[in-house]
Amino acid sequence: MTADTIDTRLARVKAAIDLKPPDHTPVCLSLDYKFVYRYKGLKQADYFRNRGLGGRSGSSLFIDVFNELGGWDFVGAGGNTTRVRDILEAPMIIRVPGKDIPEDEVIQWEEVEVLTHEHYDQIIKVGWIKFMDDFYPRFRGYDPAEYRARIDARAVKELAAMKPGQEMWNRMGYPVQGGGDVFSPLMMLSTARTMIKFTVDLYRIPDKVQAVMDAMIDDLITLSIKACKAAGVGGPYGIPTKSVILERGGGFVYPLKIFERFEFPYLKKMVNAFVNEGITPILHFDSDWTLNMPYLKELPHRKFFIQLDSKTDIFKTKEILRDTCCIMGDVAPSLLSLGTKEEVGAYCRKLIDVVGKGGGLILGVGCGVPVDSKFENLKMMIDTAREYNPHHT
Amino acid sequence: MSELSSALANLEEEKVARIIKQELGTGKDSMGVLTELRKGMDEVGQRYKKGEYFLSELIVSGEIFKDAMKVLEPTLKKDGGGPATKVVIGTVKGDIHNIGKDIVATLLKGVGFEVYDLGIDVPVKAFVDKVVETKATIVGMSGLLTPSFESMKETVDALKEAGLRNKVKVIIGGGVVTELVQRHTGADAFTDDAMEGVEIIKKWSAKSN
Repeated sequence: MTADTIDTRLARVKAAIDLKPPDHTPVCLSLDYKFVYRYKGLKQADYFRNRGLGGRSGSSLFIDVFNELGGWDFVGAGGNTTRVRDILEAPMIIRVPGKDIPEDEVIQWEEVEVLTHEHYDQIIKVGWIKFMDDFYPRFRGYDPAEYRARIDARAVKELAAMKPGQEMWNRMGYPVQGGGDVFSPLMMLSTARTMIKFTVDLYRIPDKVQAVMDAMIDDLITLSIKACKAAGVGGPYGIPTKSVILERGGGFVYPLKIFERFEFPYLKKMVNAFVNEGITPILHFDSDWTLNMPYLKELPHRKFFIQLDSKTDIFKTKEILRDTCCIMGDVAPSLLSLGTKEEVGAYCRKLIDVVGKGGGLILGVGCGVPVDSKFENLKMMIDTAREYNPHHT
Repeated sequence: MSELSSALANLEEEKVARIIKQELGTGKDSMGVLTELRKGMDEVGQRYKKGEYFLSELIVSGEIFKDAMKVLEPTLKKDGGGPATKVVIGTVKGDIHNIGKDIVATLLKGVGFEVYDLGIDVPVKAFVDKVVETKATIVGMSGLLTPSFESMKETVDALKEAGLRNKVKVIIGGGVVTELVQRHTGADAFTDDAMEGVEIIKKWSAKSN
């Protein structure tokens, strides 16, 4: 096996997305500060006290752990600025380690009613961006004008830090992908209303909910594209992406008639708009979406990929989407934190055997790497992707 | 099935409220009304099992049931309906996710269980103390984060230390819970499906009664 270069890694990832057989299955861990800090003996609260020490990719602790694990084929870079995140991700109450919860517990979001029916009417009237520009600072307890001025200034610094991040990883020999996240309208409203209240809304006032989503979608798309371009991921070794966060709109929760009206039309519009702008959408499916997978055949083939978290049946999904899109996943969180490295290796080999046959697999964790993963299990994922290659001729 | 049971099973919120008002107004025993509502909830469960209903319909029916109980509860006699199986339920220490736990708690009440919902981020001792206090025979623990596995294990261990383990059945639930987690924690069952959890608890209850 010859030594990897940035070109071999990029070719491997692009082959997977293009559904062509790679030289071996690419691997990518969605690693953030949670595991990095626990593994290095720091508290979760330390991250919030000292942002930049090792939370984001590109910082020293992250690079240390990345290298100790042996590295992987592409790295996340360039996300949303705070300013953009306020609008493209749901307003929720955050419990921060060391502040709201004990020092070494992981950050969590409270499921409480943040948006009300009155807010629905306001969104319909003024659109999502204008609504959130005023609502979000007030929700956080700030004066809107003062808050916007503060985070606009911060955004300049945040954007200035993104470009060097990609350049650093490229110099180290790794391609990057990035461009930030966006919640689907359903995910946004469900988390901001609470899943239970929002579900009741879908049954009691469906036309109103649809009107809200109609008032949101163009704003979400426009700002997503703008933010992705501003993040600056690109060039020969950068893949501009947009992660669409989907967790609650699938068959695990809703019948298809709800998915067909309240999730898929908006998802399709987002994906098409991003692809038209040269952005690769990453559809982040948490929980079980097996029932919904056939709908993805309507999306532009080989122009997006999906992340599965072990709840969607990845093997059935492969059968359905064999000619449609690459699949990233799906080693289960419980396997990483409680399983043995032999069990992890066996599952990764099964994924490569079945889902990786003919290409179209990026070995990974559907959601983020769990805080209490065993180091040797993560290492086993990476080693298995490199060393187990039954399809190579 | 009565008109009230059907209305609940069909998620007809206004109709449920109207019938309850009528029945209570004409002097019908409130326990009889509750029995009809529970039959409606049972039917919702049947439709879910057949794949006709999804989690969303469980949620909506649960909310209709909760609204109905607000009207009914003041008129129910404390000792009405005979002894119900007691379930202590909560999201374990270090985890504040409440959706799954809330749905299961509502569904359990809907089919007649006496539910002690301890809320979220529940300390180990609180589970044990509530089992001692209520003599509950079933404990349900929920979590959506991998660190919840250790909290679940600690709670099962604490039940053992308190000499209660052979008196209670323990079920764990949540999006990341698997058989591996069940083995690690020493629970009796696991699920990532609210209605499946209710069915398991119903079977345990039927065996012990």
